Amino acid sequence: MNDFSELEDQLRKLRPAQPSADLVTRIERALAEETSTPTAAVLPRERRFQFNWLSLGLGLAAAAALFLFAFIRLQQPATKAPNVASTSPGPVTATNAGGQFVPAGLTQVVYHTRDEGLHFPTSSSEPMRRVRSQTRDTLQWKNPKTGATLRISYPREEVSLVPVTGQ
Amino acid sequence: MENVVTDENWKTCFCQLAPGLVLFARQWARSSADAEDIVQEAFVRFWRKQHDVSNRGLLYATVRSIALDFLRRDSRRARRESTAMSDVDQSVAPAFEIEDDAQRALVAALDHLPTEQREVLVMKIWSDLTFAEIASALEISQNTAASRYRYALAALKKNLATT
Repeated sequence: MNDFSELEDQLRKLRPAQPSADLVTRIERALAEETSTPTAAVLPRERRFQFNWLSLGLGLAAAAALFLFAFIRLQQPATKAPNVASTSPGPVTATNAGGQFVPAGLTQVVYHTRDEGLHFPTSSSEPMRRVRSQTRDTLQWKNPKTGATLRISYPREEVSLVPVTGQ
Repeated sequence: MENVVTDENWKTCFCQLAPGLVLFARQWARSSADAEDIVQEAFVRFWRKQHDVSNRGLLYATVRSIALDFLRRDSRRARRESTAMSDVDQSVAPAFEIEDDAQRALVAALDHLPTEQREVLVMKIWSDLTFAEIASALEISQNTAASRYRYALAALKKNLATT
């Protein structure tokens, strides 16, 4: 860099031309205005509204997919259940005191049953067969006015002892 | 934003920076009036966004961006877009207060520098920007900025030696 030090000194001696006196005034005026000021030669670029079609399309597609998924889930409460043990049309209790929702159904789906063999419970002198079953219960309420539905679903495991009849 | 109007600090800041900014803008403008318009728009935009004035790299980047927009908006748009940088090289010279023939020769040599070297030289010599600030303004690495500076000085020296 030492090779250029003399040249750099010569360059620094060159004085840039001073801006016109009214430049400061023009800037002051522009800053004082509420919005940016167009100048005689430089017009600020207009901010055009750029519609992003890709984002809109993706958003609509996602919304449609969500709606379709929710619709299918509502329309198929238990039809694909492998094994329906029992179904009763009316659940036992209402869901809210206002009575807007009325019971619409109770579904119990037994999706797994296992025979665990003979056991001798302490309370019984006879052997009993122990059967373990796994069930999913679904309770559903419906608002007749709005058509809204409310579903509660929970898993349940049940162990039952079946007396063995002596043959 | 309203406090900007009453804040007089910008005058102090601007008066210190203005000669360098206008000189920098003149690389893309055909006249000093155009260069001042570019600087005005850049400074107003910069100040309104409440950027830190010590961020000179960003300020120069704003000037450069607006200057390039200015070029594109020019009525000679189609012709300029095909040969934008070479056109600038041929038509624009930095504006200085020339005192003697030696300085005139120096300015003529500056005029022959490629734009990418000249803009680094202008920011370094007449605005005292660091290579980090120049790199930030031009979106290049510091090494590239330093290299362009050295190439510019070498080219100037060579040019002056032949004249």
